[in-house]
Amino acid sequence: MKIAMFPPNSLILEDLIERSGHEPLSLQNQIKQKVIDPEIDSPPFNMTEEDPIKGLKYAAIEVPSGVRGRMSLFGPLIDVAEAAIIMDESPFGFGCIGCARSNELSVFYLRKKGIPTLELKYPTNQDETRDVVNKITTFLKQLGGA
Amino acid sequence: MSLKNESKEDLDTKMIILGPASGVSSSELVQKIHMLKLPLTIKSTCYGAMVHGEPDVVKKAVEEARNMDEFNIFIKDRGFPPGDPRRCRGHRGAAREGFHQLEKEFKLLGYVGEALANPKEVSLEEPQKIPVNEFHEIAKSMDLNDEIDE
Repeated sequence: MKIAMFPPNSLILEDLIERSGHEPLSLQNQIKQKVIDPEIDSPPFNMTEEDPIKGLKYAAIEVPSGVRGRMSLFGPLIDVAEAAIIMDESPFGFGCIGCARSNELSVFYLRKKGIPTLELKYPTNQDETRDVVNKITTFLKQLGGA
Repeated sequence: MSLKNESKEDLDTKMIILGPASGVSSSELVQKIHMLKLPLTIKSTCYGAMVHGEPDVVKKAVEEARNMDEFNIFIKDRGFPPGDPRRCRGHRGAAREGFHQLEKEFKLLGYVGEALANPKEVSLEEPQKIPVNEFHEIAKSMDLNDEIDE
């Protein structure tokens, strides 16, 4: 199954999903299409004026173009997701996920989609980490269809 | 297999990250991947290694690498190819952006590996608070009624 994760570039989530035989929908694969394109229009990321327009599918015209541009990357991942794991209160917000409003919108769309969703808090110590890992592996096992 | 005819977009890049409790060193990992004699670009890094090549070859290399220490080797996709001047630390003069996140998550990898080695089925439902009346009943049944009233 295709599993969306939030944060979409999390190492821990991606690794756990891949271990269980499912397909993680990671942001890096979306970025790859932007940076390896042989016809790069606007280096270094090749984000063009077309991207905020694509983002209109997910956010209204009044929403800042930065949010719409980000949604043009996150949105297609949400569209194809068959299940989701959301980790709240992640302390990092680097790169393309460093925008609180885009993050809120992405989580909103994942919840709204009505797919099986596991919501967790980012662990900070050993006990919490053990609990989070066990919950994720149990959730992925219950999904089946790997 | 030649990489020459492949479009760059068809190639995968994976980061192989050694957890803090891993018994494998970065050089051992790179040596192991080299010994597989697969048509890959392999880069030794401070966190482990990076492999770049055709998806099925990368998958095979990653599986072999994971088998070296199943619970302490972690895999992550990467968008930029190895040594890309837009991301390479050597060209930027500072840590690349993704490294900060990696550094943050690395702190938990030891615990993650430990949890993976000792899996446990758990309930996915959040524990709920019990109603006051029910709590009162439980207290009564335990002869703690007087203490509760106080």
